[in-house]
Amino acid sequence: MNIFTILTAVVVLGIVWGGLTFFLTRAMKYEKMKSENGEK
Amino acid sequence: MKEEKRKTSGQEFFSSRWALIIATIGIAVGTGNIWRFSRIVAQNGGGSFLIPWVIFLLIWSVPLIIAEFAIGKSTRLGPVGALAKTAGKNFAWMGAFVVFVSTAIMFYYSIVTGWCLRYFFSAVSGNLFNTKDQLAYWNEFSTGLQPLIFHFISISLVAFIIYRGVTKGIEKVTKFLVPSLLGILVILFVRAVTLPGAIDGIKYFFTPDLKTVLDYKVWLNALTQNAWDTGAGWGLILTYAIYMKKKEDISLNAALIGFGNNTVSLLAGITIFSTVFALSSVDAMQQISQSGPANTGLTFIYLPQLFAKISGSYAVNIFFASIFFIALFFAAVTSLMSMVELSTRTLIDFGLKRSKAIIIVAVAGFLFGVPSALNLDFFANQDWVWGVGLILSGAFISFSIIRYGVDKFRTEIINGAGSDVKIGKWFNFVIAVLIPLQVVVLIAWWLISSVGWDPEWWNPFHSLNTGTVLFQWAVVLGAFILLNKVMYKQIFERDKQ
Repeated sequence: MNIFTILTAVVVLGIVWGGLTFFLTRAMKYEKMKSENGEK
Repeated sequence: MKEEKRKTSGQEFFSSRWALIIATIGIAVGTGNIWRFSRIVAQNGGGSFLIPWVIFLLIWSVPLIIAEFAIGKSTRLGPVGALAKTAGKNFAWMGAFVVFVSTAIMFYYSIVTGWCLRYFFSAVSGNLFNTKDQLAYWNEFSTGLQPLIFHFISISLVAFIIYRGVTKGIEKVTKFLVPSLLGILVILFVRAVTLPGAIDGIKYFFTPDLKTVLDYKVWLNALTQNAWDTGAGWGLILTYAIYMKKKEDISLNAALIGFGNNTVSLLAGITIFSTVFALSSVDAMQQISQSGPANTGLTFIYLPQLFAKISGSYAVNIFFASIFFIALFFAAVTSLMSMVELSTRTLIDFGLKRSKAIIIVAVAGFLFGVPSALNLDFFANQDWVWGVGLILSGAFISFSIIRYGVDKFRTEIINGAGSDVKIGKWFNFVIAVLIPLQVVVLIAWWLISSVGWDPEWWNPFHSLNTGTVLFQWAVVLGAFILLNKVMYKQIFERDKQ
């Protein structure tokens, strides 16, 4: 596998799957905070 | 999870943030993520396509999803009323166009949903593997009356779900279908990447060709894929946003939808490339990139041939083919639900009760879908005209925010009550400059390209050309501009009459 293939895979999967994981973690954090503050 | 149903003047709400996200993911993830994405990647140089595709996720899909969430949440109206309230009373016709485009797509999308259901039954019964010529099998099915029967089943099933309302219908069903769909895709993904030879497919999928990366057509195809497959700019997310609670976040939820949708596309793309490269005895690339009748070649003709070879066991092959087609059906149903809800909600805004509105939508959905069910040329014409129309819908949503004041919209509505993450000034630039620019470039490119497909490009009665697009758009836009005042009064001044 050449270096450009690996680089593209890392960038694309990093942004899309990494982005999803990041936003999901943030959303869970805010939900937990709201729950602790008795907002929900 | 405790189901919460709040009522404010008869208004239902999604019970939680996760219920809203799952339902909205259900809009975004459709059959296009599975069959169109793989075909477009293959036609546009594999890895070369993925780079612009990710960029347009950031400068088209996510900003428009944010915009739709914010308009729906702030106006609590379907697209006609919402755009009139945001852009001004002279622009209800823009919202009506957004509704019409998604409704016209609903007419033939119900047929696609029916195809998936029919192929699921074919796979489960083993019929799919008893035929040697898959193209003949497809032709026999698609030219008969069966598409009509399955169209009827699909629209009736979805109408029943929408009749049940937001929490008991949309939320309850998507909570089951969306996780099931994701689970099935993961099972298929694991099986596909572990097939001998799958690595060649993965290599092609991620290998960029530097010449192709610089080709403007690859960039335009990447933008089109984002415009068509995330659901951004369709008015569907705007409609579900009507049912989000006041203290619900907008920007983080929008990012989750956009990234979640593209995650599914990648999962499906890797699965299909791995399967085709591992099992195909002829040119794998040709099989993935060929459109076939009504762009269904890969899904309904080539993949069944490959599923028959996935293992030495007949039962295992049936299992994988069945879960693939039921996953497609789930993806189609959750998207179709949002289209039916959009039309229903519009009639509710005009003063009809949900029960009456859903009957009208279901009957119209069935009747206006009949020509596409019986004639694939008519189907292709509608897919072409209203597919490009979606880009104009995105422009109208962007225009309404510009009329309202982009900075005011961002600070007061998006960053208002309930926001977890504040959106910066970059949003102003994207909505006011980048989205309109992308719309102009994209519509011009599609229409100019279509001139080359047909010497009589101006003829409105040809199936796939510029003339038919401009003619049908002109009829619809003209009618709605004439009816603008009537629509506005019916929504906002009905009680005064």
